[in-house]
Amino acid sequence: MLEATGLYKKFGGKPALDDVSFRLEKGEIYGLLGHNGAGKSTSLGIILGMVAPDRGEVKIDGVSVQKHRSKALAKVGAIFEAPAFYDYMSGWENLKILMGYSGGFDAKAAEEVITRVGLEKRIGSKVRTYSHGMRQRLALAQSLLPEPELLLLDEPTDGLDPEGIKWFREFILGLRKEKGMTVLFNSHLLAEVELMCDRVAILRQGKRVFEGSVKDFRDGEPVYEVELESWEAATVWIRGTGGEILDGGKISLPVGMDPAVAVEGLVKAGVKVRNFAKVRRSLEDVYMEILDGKGSPN
Amino acid sequence: MAFIEQLKGELKKLFARPRTWMGYGAFLAMEAVILAVYKLEASQRHMRGIVERNGLEFNTYYSSLTITFTIMLLSMFLLGSIYFALVAGDIVAKENEDGNLRMVFARPISRLRLLLVKYTAVCLYTFSFVFFVGVSGYAMAVAAVGWEGGLFVMEPKMKVFAAYPDWWEGAWRLALSAAGIGISMITLSSIAFMFSCFRIKPAAATIITLTILFVDMILQGFPFFKPYESYFVTWRMSAWVFLMEPHLSWPKLVESYAFLLGLNVSLFTIGWLAFQTRDFKT
Repeated sequence: MLEATGLYKKFGGKPALDDVSFRLEKGEIYGLLGHNGAGKSTSLGIILGMVAPDRGEVKIDGVSVQKHRSKALAKVGAIFEAPAFYDYMSGWENLKILMGYSGGFDAKAAEEVITRVGLEKRIGSKVRTYSHGMRQRLALAQSLLPEPELLLLDEPTDGLDPEGIKWFREFILGLRKEKGMTVLFNSHLLAEVELMCDRVAILRQGKRVFEGSVKDFRDGEPVYEVELESWEAATVWIRGTGGEILDGGKISLPVGMDPAVAVEGLVKAGVKVRNFAKVRRSLEDVYMEILDGKGSPN
Repeated sequence: MAFIEQLKGELKKLFARPRTWMGYGAFLAMEAVILAVYKLEASQRHMRGIVERNGLEFNTYYSSLTITFTIMLLSMFLLGSIYFALVAGDIVAKENEDGNLRMVFARPISRLRLLLVKYTAVCLYTFSFVFFVGVSGYAMAVAAVGWEGGLFVMEPKMKVFAAYPDWWEGAWRLALSAAGIGISMITLSSIAFMFSCFRIKPAAATIITLTILFVDMILQGFPFFKPYESYFVTWRMSAWVFLMEPHLSWPKLVESYAFLLGLNVSLFTIGWLAFQTRDFKT
């Protein structure tokens, strides 16, 4: 559905993106993670043709954004953090104007989408009277009106309350389920990315340092929380098996190693084991490891 | 068809903004002041002197048509230019500053198309504004001095002098000159539009445009530049006055308006190139 190849962009002599590539399959929700300035927004800008890459290309459904922008974006919707509407006009008028750039306004379709995002009671009010959550719903409505196959979300849940975040997440997941929509989710809210995305890429200083499926994080290298009497002997034994000592009283074992064998080995090495419990590795753990340079780039 | 829809949307946006209406309010107030001045005994005496010194009858030319002409002659370059520069300077730069352009760029519209829509809206605003000033000025003048009478034209700078005792002929010339001013002022809007396409604040686009206009006017007034006056933009913009001449000199008019057209196309192209090569970060 979307293919970004070798994206390179320099701002003021400093690379904002350095040979970044990724690919979104149809119906996939793909997360783009990274600190501020990592290159997430520049990537999105290039995908939308707002930023011209120094090198590289983005293709949407095989059509190059850099060569045929209008054709490539025909079935794309986008939402930005803090969407800027024409505040002095109503939500309805905003939709009408924005849809004028997308091939025309269909009032019936607009009514359906407005009802769907729950804005039907306030759509006639001026946007300046909207709360942040309502603006985000209007942003969602405008992004859905061209009946997109690809939805680009740039920090869409920033500033929303927990209820709003949950509503937004369920809405996007519902869209994927119902319409098979492909979504690029650009965020630094790791918990949200973990709950929504199938795969993620992590950007650091303009480089893609990781790409993998969210499921792999959970099912990959097992991590255990342990309580031991002596860490010295345990460290020697664990490292000898190919495992690792992690922060916060956690260890990782080589894939396929039975934890019972690990406990037995530790006891035989003279380590008293008070607790040995499998813990689920969160995306945050992986993210921090990678950004701290402990994880392996791919 | 899509272009018309987009243009309608652009005009809707333009006229939904309070600052677009500032110019209309300012001109109505100014017209009321000019009319009040025209009603003063001293002012009438002054005008009587000018008209009668030229061998014409004061009562024929102390009219709504003459007052409307004076309003347009005196105000459009000085007061009108402020609002044209303000609106045209805002049209791209303000949307960029407010973040609205991000939403537009998420749509499958080319930058050239977007600029063409905006530029057309600016041209329509400029042209229609001049007619608004003419019509409202005339309506107020009719209320003050009645509708009858001819048209007296005296513009020393462009060396145009004309008198049309017949109301129909006067009204036709006034309408023609309003069209001429409208086209002339599009050049001013084009300058502001070009700057609006650059990476600058909307206020800066407005101020730079007005600076260019006023510097052009000041330099044109220097005796040294007299032989070169036709190279000044404001001189070419003043060519509308030639539409008031009893015998229309088409070569003179075509020369000036071709100059302005070429300038407008160049300004749009420079603005478009600047806009096209810019990055818009989300």
